[in-house]
This record gives sequence, C-alpha cells and structure tokens, in this order.
Amino acid sequence: MKAKYMSLNTIKYLLITAFISLLTLGCSNENTTSLSTKSVIYCSEGSPESFNPQTVISGVTVDATSHQLYNRLITYSGDNNEVSPSLAKSWHITRDGKKITFYLRKDVEFHHTSYFTPSRKLNADDVIFSFNRVLNNEHEYHDISGGLYPFFQSIQFNSLVKNIEKINEYTVRFTLNRADSSFLANLATDFSVILSEEYAQHLSKLNSQQQIDRLPIGTGPFKYKEYRPGSFIRYLAHENYWQRKINIEQLIFDITPSNTGRLTKLLAKECDVVAYPIAHKKIIERPDLSLNAITSYNVGYLGFNTTKPPFNNKLVRKAISYAINKEAIIDAIYFGKAEIAHSIIPSTSWAYDPTIPKHEYSLSKAINTLNQAGYPNGFIMNIWAMPIQKAYNPDALTMAKLIKSDLMKIGITVNIFHNYEWSTFLKLIADGEHHAVLLGWAANHPDPDDFFTHLLSCSAATQGNRGTFWCNKQYDSLISQSLQTTNLNKRKKYYASALKIIEEEVPLVPIAHSKRFQGRSQNISGQLLKPFGGLNFEEVNKN
Amino acid sequence: MARENIYQEEEFPSPLKQLWYNFKEKPMIMLAFGAFIALIVLAVFAPIITPFSSSQSHLDSILLPPAWNNNGDVSFLLGTDKLGRDMLSMLMHGATFTFGLSFIIVIISAIIGVLIGSLSALTSGFKSSFLNHFLDVILSIPSLLLAIVIVAVLGTGLSNTVLAIIIVLIPQFIHVTRNEVKKEFTKDYVLASKLDGASSLRILRYSIFPNIIEKIITQSTLAQSAAILDIAALGFLGLGAPTYIPEWGAMLSNGIDLFYIAPWTVYFPGLAILFAVISTNLVGEGLRHALKQRKEH
Amino acid sequence: MLIFTLRRLNLFIFTFIVLTALSFSLSFLFPGDALTNLTGQVNATLEQRALLIEEYQYNSNIFKQYWAYLTHLFNGELGVSISSHLPISSEVINLLPATIELSVVALFIAMVIGIPIGFIAAVNHEKTIDNSILFISMLGYSIPIFWLGLLAVFVFSIQLGWLPSAGRLSLVYEIKPVTGIQFFDILLSKSEYKWQAFQDATLHIIMPACVVALAPMTIFIRLARTAMMEVLDSSYITAAKAKGLTFWQIIYRHAVRNALINVIRHIGLQFANLVTLAMVTEVIFSWPGIGRWLIESISQGDYTAIHGGLLALSSFIFIVHILTDFIYAALNPLARERKHGA
Repeated sequence: MKAKYMSLNTIKYLLITAFISLLTLGCSNENTTSLSTKSVIYCSEGSPESFNPQTVISGVTVDATSHQLYNRLITYSGDNNEVSPSLAKSWHITRDGKKITFYLRKDVEFHHTSYFTPSRKLNADDVIFSFNRVLNNEHEYHDISGGLYPFFQSIQFNSLVKNIEKINEYTVRFTLNRADSSFLANLATDFSVILSEEYAQHLSKLNSQQQIDRLPIGTGPFKYKEYRPGSFIRYLAHENYWQRKINIEQLIFDITPSNTGRLTKLLAKECDVVAYPIAHKKIIERPDLSLNAITSYNVGYLGFNTTKPPFNNKLVRKAISYAINKEAIIDAIYFGKAEIAHSIIPSTSWAYDPTIPKHEYSLSKAINTLNQAGYPNGFIMNIWAMPIQKAYNPDALTMAKLIKSDLMKIGITVNIFHNYEWSTFLKLIADGEHHAVLLGWAANHPDPDDFFTHLLSCSAATQGNRGTFWCNKQYDSLISQSLQTTNLNKRKKYYASALKIIEEEVPLVPIAHSKRFQGRSQNISGQLLKPFGGLNFEEVNKN
Repeated sequence: MARENIYQEEEFPSPLKQLWYNFKEKPMIMLAFGAFIALIVLAVFAPIITPFSSSQSHLDSILLPPAWNNNGDVSFLLGTDKLGRDMLSMLMHGATFTFGLSFIIVIISAIIGVLIGSLSALTSGFKSSFLNHFLDVILSIPSLLLAIVIVAVLGTGLSNTVLAIIIVLIPQFIHVTRNEVKKEFTKDYVLASKLDGASSLRILRYSIFPNIIEKIITQSTLAQSAAILDIAALGFLGLGAPTYIPEWGAMLSNGIDLFYIAPWTVYFPGLAILFAVISTNLVGEGLRHALKQRKEH
Repeated sequence: MLIFTLRRLNLFIFTFIVLTALSFSLSFLFPGDALTNLTGQVNATLEQRALLIEEYQYNSNIFKQYWAYLTHLFNGELGVSISSHLPISSEVINLLPATIELSVVALFIAMVIGIPIGFIAAVNHEKTIDNSILFISMLGYSIPIFWLGLLAVFVFSIQLGWLPSAGRLSLVYEIKPVTGIQFFDILLSKSEYKWQAFQDATLHIIMPACVVALAPMTIFIRLARTAMMEVLDSSYITAAKAKGLTFWQIIYRHAVRNALINVIRHIGLQFANLVTLAMVTEVIFSWPGIGRWLIESISQGDYTAIHGGLLALSSFIFIVHILTDFIYAALNPLARERKHGA
C-alpha cells in the first residue's frame, strides 16, 4: 500500500515539473527574431476558385492570385493610371491600330518550387502559350479547368485577335481584326496573366494538366507554398523576382468569411490586414490600426431577366425602378459609405452624364407606371440575392428584404432566393432561373468600356453571368464605335447615348457605388488598394 | 395577538406542504421561483403583451442602440436589430420559444419516459438486461450530440428541434424512473401490498408513484435547463429555429456578424438565456434541498 | 479481473453493433438515395454505380448490406464527402486529433481545478465558502457556452489582448502534421521557430479549453464535494481522527485518495458531455476539429460526411468511456464486482 502511494506522488511531481519546464523553456530563446515580423497575414473573405485568374471573374480569386503569383505584359501605374511596361519593356502599335508588337524583358525568372524547377527565363513562348490557351479552342490546355474564360469572352477577345506570332525569342506580335482602343487596357487587367509554357509541357508529360491552375507557376512576387480550402493560403516570397526585392518572407491569406471574425482578428493582432471591415469606428478608435478607403469603380444593381415575362416589359422594369428607396438601402446596407447610383458609371468617371434623367424614388410614379404596364394588381416575383459579400454589395440578403418591403407597397410580392454556394449561384443565374438578381460589377481598369461592355453588351448577355440577358443592337453599336476611336469627346458622346438607352430600357436598376475599405495595422506600409482590380501585395512592408 | 389554539391536536402538514415550507426558507430560491413563474407567464402571453410585433421590421430604425444610449430611442427600449425589429419585443417573444417550448418538451418527455420506465421496471431477465445495455449506450451519448444527429436526419427547423430534444430527454426519464421503481420495489410497504394481492400495475399506480414523483420533478428541472440550453445551442448553430423566429439562440447567432456595430444584439439574448437557465436551476436546487431537508426531519 | 474484462468486452461488442447498425441505418434515413449517402459519389456514371452496388451488396438482403458496410468500415473506407470530394477517412484522420487535443486539455483543466475546489467545499460544508462555491458553480453550469465563448474572446482577445481569438496555431508557423496532436508535432518538427510555435500553440488552446472546461468543471466540483462529504462521514475517518491524526494528515493520506476514486468513475460520462461542448466551442473559435466539420456538413447537407463524422465521434467517446471504466476498475477492486447498470 505504501509503495503504491509513494509512486503516485512521485508521478505527480514528475508531471508537474515536466509541464512547468516545457512552458518556461520557450522563454529562453529570445535571440531568434520572431517569424511573425517577417510574415504578413491578410484576412480574406473567401476561398479562391482557382489559382489562375484567366479562368474566373470573381474578385476573391483575383485578389488572392493575380498580382501575387503573376505578371502581365503591361500594367497600370502612376496617378493617372496609365498603361506602363511590365513584362514587356516597350511596345509598338501600327498606325491602323491593328498590329501591336511587344518587346519582352530578358531577365524575368519563373518560380522555383517543390513541384517545378524552371530551366529558363521568360520568353516569347510563354506569352504565346498564355494567350493561345484562351484563343485556340483546339489548344491542349483550352478545356482544362472547364474551358471558360469569362473575362476574355465578355470582351470578345477571340473575335478581336486574329493571331499572335513569335517574331523572335523576346518579341511577340498581336494582329487584331479591327482597331480597338481598349485592347491595351484589357491586356493590363488582372486576367491577362502570363503562365509558364515549360511548366505546361512538364505537366503534359505527367498527364496532370489540371495542376496548371491548381499548383501555379508564375513570375510574380510570391510563389505558392500551401493551400487548405476554406482555411488558408501560404505564399513565400519569390527570391528572384525581377522587379524588386520582396520585403517579407511569407504572405498568408487567412480565409475568414465572417465579418466579426475578421475584425476580431485585426483587433487581436492576429491579422495584419483585413478585407471589407464593417465596424469602421472600432478601427478608427485604435491608434495602432488604420482604415484605408478608396473610391471604387463599381456598381451594385438589381438586374432583370429581360427574357421572362413580365420583365420583358420595360414599363414594369421602370415601375420597379421608381419604387426602390435607394437612400434607405445606402444607410442600412452600406452604413452610409456609398453614393447612390443613377447610372452604371460612377460620377467620378469621365463617361458619366449628369443630364440623363434620374429615376428618383417615387411611389406614385411607380404605381402609375405599373398600371400603365397593365399590372394594376401587382404580381409575384423572385429576387436572387448573391450569397457572398462584395464591395459593391456587402449584404445582398438584407438589401433584397428592403426591396421586398418597398415593392410590397406597389402590390408586388417578392420571394427571396439566397442559400447557394457562390459558383452554384452563378451557374443558376447563367441558366436564367431568376426574375431579378442582385449583383454588381467592379471595374478591372479605368476605361469606362469595362462597365459598358461587361454589363450590358450582347456578348455579356450570351455569357449569362450578368443576369439580364439584355441585347440591344443600337447600344452595342454605340459602344463598339466608342472603342474604335481614341478621341475623348467623341467617346463621351457615344457613351452618353448609350446611357440614355439604358435609362429608357431599364435592363437593370443601378443602386449604389461603394467605397472599398481595408483595415490594417499601423506597422504595415505599402499601397495595397486600387480603385479597380485586385489587391497587390508586392510593395507591402512590415516595420 | 397569538392565535388561540382551540383544538389540542397537533397539526402535521402534508408532505407537499412540508416541502413548500422548506422550499420557502431561502429567499434566493423564492426569487428564482418568482422569476420562473414570470417566465412561464411571459412565454404564454408574450404575443399579446409585447410593445411591437416581434417580426415587424421598422426599416427607418435599423440598428438603434438601447434607449440609454445617446442615439437610442425610448420607444425601442433595448434597441433594434439589423432589420429594424425591436429587441425587447423579440426577447419577450423569444421566451415563448426558448423557455416555453422547453417546458412543453420536458412535460412530454417526462410523461413518455416515466411510462416506459415504470413498465420496463416490471420486466426482468433478458429483456431487462437488453434494455439496460441499450439505455446505457444512449445515455453515454451526450444530449446535444444526439439532438444534432436527429436534426441531421430530420432536417433543420424548430419543430424537428423540438422532436429531437424530446427524443433525447426520454431516456433520462426512463433511467431515473426505472431505478427509482426498482428501488421502491425492494421496500417493505410494496411487499405488504403484494402480499395483499395487489397486481404490479396497481402497486405501481397507488403505492410507488406518489413516492417517486418528487424525484421525477427534480429530474424535470434538470432536464428543462438542459432543454433550454439545447434549443438555444441548436438555434445558434443554425440547425434549429430559422432566423426570422425570435428564438434566443438564433437571435444571438444573427447578431454576431454585426457584433462590433451593434453589440446589444449579442449581449441581450445571451443574458436572457442565462437568466432562464439560472432560474430553472435555482428552482431545481431549491426543490432538491427542500426534499433532502424534509427527509432529514 | 478476467470476468470484468469479459463483461466489458461484451458491452463493447454490443455497443459497437448498436452504433454501426444505427449509423448504417442513417444512410436510409437521410433524404436522397441511400447508396449515394453512404459513398458520397454524387455524379457516378452507370458503370460506376453498378460497381458500387456490387461492392455494397445493394441487390441482396439487409444483412448482407450491413456486412458489406462493416467490411468497408474495417478497411477504413468511409466514402467521399459530397461537398469537398475528399475521402472521409482522411478528413477524419486530419481533424479528430484536434478535437482529442482540445477535449483532453479541457478535461485536465476541469479536473485539476474542479476537484480541489470541490474538496474545499466539502471540508467547509454548510459554511459560506461552501455556499458561495455552490452558487458560483451553478452560475458556471447555467451559462450558455456559445455566449461565454464570445464574451471570452471579447474580453481576453480584444480588450486585454492577452490571448488569440481563433485557430489552433498562428499561420506563420509551418508544422508538419505527424501525430495530429499539435504539441507533439511541434516538438518533433525541425523548424528553427520550434519554441515560439510551442508557446503560440499553448496560447491558442488556453481560451477554447477553458471555455469547454467550465461546465464540466462545475460538475466535477459537485461530484468531488459529494464524494468527499461521503468519505468524511465514513467510519475510518472517524477512527483516524480518534487515532489523533491532524486534519491535514487525514485529508491528504486518506480522504483525498478515496474521494478521488469515486470521482474518477464519472469521468467517462463527463467526457462525453465535454466532447459535445467542444463541438460548439470549435465553431466559435474556428478550431479545426471534427465537431466544426460535422456541423458544417449538417448545414451543407453532406450526408456522407455527417455519417462518417458521427461514427468517428461516437466511437471516440465510447472508447474513452470504456478506458476510464477500466482504469477505475483497476484502481478500485470493489468496482469489478459491481453489477452493470447500477
């Protein structure tokens, strides 16, 4: 009995000493600088659908991948957001605007990772591979990852570009079918990334071509290390990045869909930078945190499925437009931090026309118009509210509820559909399941064509992602005419006429242009936000 | 002036009255009992006495803080949520769901559990052993987990939650009843009844039952506090009441996303749950304590 | 001891059959096609489906199906998740250790703090300390755990900034999962930031474990108190007092050991309760365990995952229950005679 008792005691003591020594041992190593000073953690709002922005259009994927993993031939820089050199150090456009030659840099290295080691630097083959994948339906890699290139489809890239040819090891020439003043702008967007042709060949040999979009190789400032879906992405700095030395060792995306979760992590210093914070007061109160804002080129809208009655009747659409109380929505959904949208273009763009009549909130006008349309007793409809947050619509469900109660006042009953995963949602919208849908658009580059073509052109309608299925020949001809000239005044006139058509036909009701916010620790420096396009961590620094 | 004791007999209060006297002794317990009764009244009459309808959205008063805050409004005493619904009304109406439903759940599962338990106590041999094993397996699975499983099978929603928790609580009552009945069966007074020729059912109904009812009531209070927490937990996890029903757990989960802008939407439902559970537990404590005291005296 | 072991084995087999039968029947109870629910192959072609029917014996009677199901279970095949298309067994292997880690640490905290407090309450029976301990423990038992978690995050992560608010380890550290238990993996790893990672992991587990431990702690307080009160009432304690032992000698040499034994037999049941609390806590603290995964699967309607997760979780709880029963029986020879069910 006594022996047993003693051993129990000694066991207890041993355990206690072991535990205490374990805890205190950590305190002895103070010399090694903490790993966290060399890493930046960004709390993002969702998981990327793929690691190649060519294949997607969602902001989450673009933010995570485009500027981090890849470069483009040309990019935007400077206060006026002009097109400037990136992988192409210079370019030449022929007078008729149909041939564009790019001269590539010779010192660009691809990523060295555990799954691929490049044997050569970037050359013309990579550029040709990256674009031919999109252009050529027969291309080996065209159908990998679904064969959809939504951005390129919406700008009709395939019908614009006649071919691409290799002039020499570092020179590439694009031949276009027609002159297009937005071609360069589109080549500088987040979607026109340059992939590694050598890597593609390597994967072909292993017969695992899908890895090109899942285990990416690019030339960008960061390279892929690890990804756990729904949890985190780990990037390491690209040691041989051609443009500059990266200030940090690791960039980590901590995927936290919950608003409160993200802000909590910022306040508890578990994240250095945070996406879409909503409680701005909390951040402003803290001296060690700062709130950045930028006015975005974006628009949140209620799109009508113009192929389904009664929404093929423009008077019905107009009536609903008068019935929506946009002020209340701005207050409740954007917490006041947005401006009312009277057209698809924000008032800060040169294409905006203040003379176009606005659809002010008026219940009487709404009822009258609805009567005119032939529905004095209203009807039942559905609204599909997007299930994820975006800068242009942070809470589509509540917005749908507010619109529902607005429309109740003119006799329309609304059912709201909301509970879908994002890619399922987009697919169902593309199939035309809805009567009306709350979506939006954030510009990829400062040229207004980005709005006009991507939202309401006929090719966007066939693509289906915008939800309106609206195709107006007159509108299409106006916007393509605008692309054929670089004369600003002429373009303004074309766009003004296009805006007038939108106002009359009301394929969608523009609701708000929002600001994009970001929260960060004071010790993080570097410009991360841009008014268009995705995040760029290239210049981030932690002090 | 002292009351004249006309009759010389000593008055022995009935066991129930004794229980009540013992129960009354502690002021804290009486307070809890009062709160308990108040909650029951609230649960029944809430739809009538709330200042606003709990589902009515006041879209011009979204996310108002409670009235004592500068930006608050006295007509919305505890503030509003993100759809402009009055917090006070929702909290009061929530009593019907979180508290009231738990009460009904406990009554139903108690009745079923006691019935099955007492009948099974009469069996013996292989049937009894099998039931024992089976019960043990079920009892070793915690109530919330079992409820989650049942909800996973039946689907989410308030009625399925209620059904799930009823199913989950029944084994507890079976177990207690069985043990108690078996214990009572060994006692002398039951033996006496048996010798008198009473059938087992008769013994059960008239002799044993009145003696175990208090144990059952104690178990009921334990079950009720578990039921309240389970309903709220399932509502919080999104597996119970849908978001437009002002159940306290669902209200809490709705409020989390806007916690930093509107913390009252999180604090108040939590306090309500805490309040309900504490009252139930205190009442249970009081009962147990009074029972013990009565036994000892 | 042998008879005890045999009886326990009997119970184990019985429970195993019941558990697997219940989980097998789940595939029929869930909405949708039973075979799809079992295997998770949502987009199976006709040939693939024929293969599956063959594998799972869906053309024969229910017993053969059950047998096929058991065979697959023993081979570690639990099907594929409907939403993530990853094999369930790999998900379970990745996630279960995290839950085990959280539960064990929480159990440890609950016992190490709860039992001594319970003893103190028993020793000071009917005095103010006893009553206040009882009252505070009732408060702890009544608080809804999800609210407590939120409050804890608010106070400790934000106001005070002492502890991190979510996750198991700061993402800056890359630790290769070897055993699944983070602390062992950190010690086994070759990273130069080993000790920083260890400290970080400790900080991350403190809050979730304490939140999980609170309600079981109050139950342990109660159990310890009752056990100690019973022991203190017994005759051998009176004998010891008569012998002339001091108060502390009695407590340490006799009372504690015997009271402890009585408390230990309840660990099995309490652990089950604790794991359930851990499930909810995992959701609040984004702890990457099997509880959070299970709840997500239920919201998404991923029936294969629900089925696999439930089986894994209940098996885990049950195995711990049996283990603690064994430990208790090893420590207390009297328990071995005791009839099951009492």
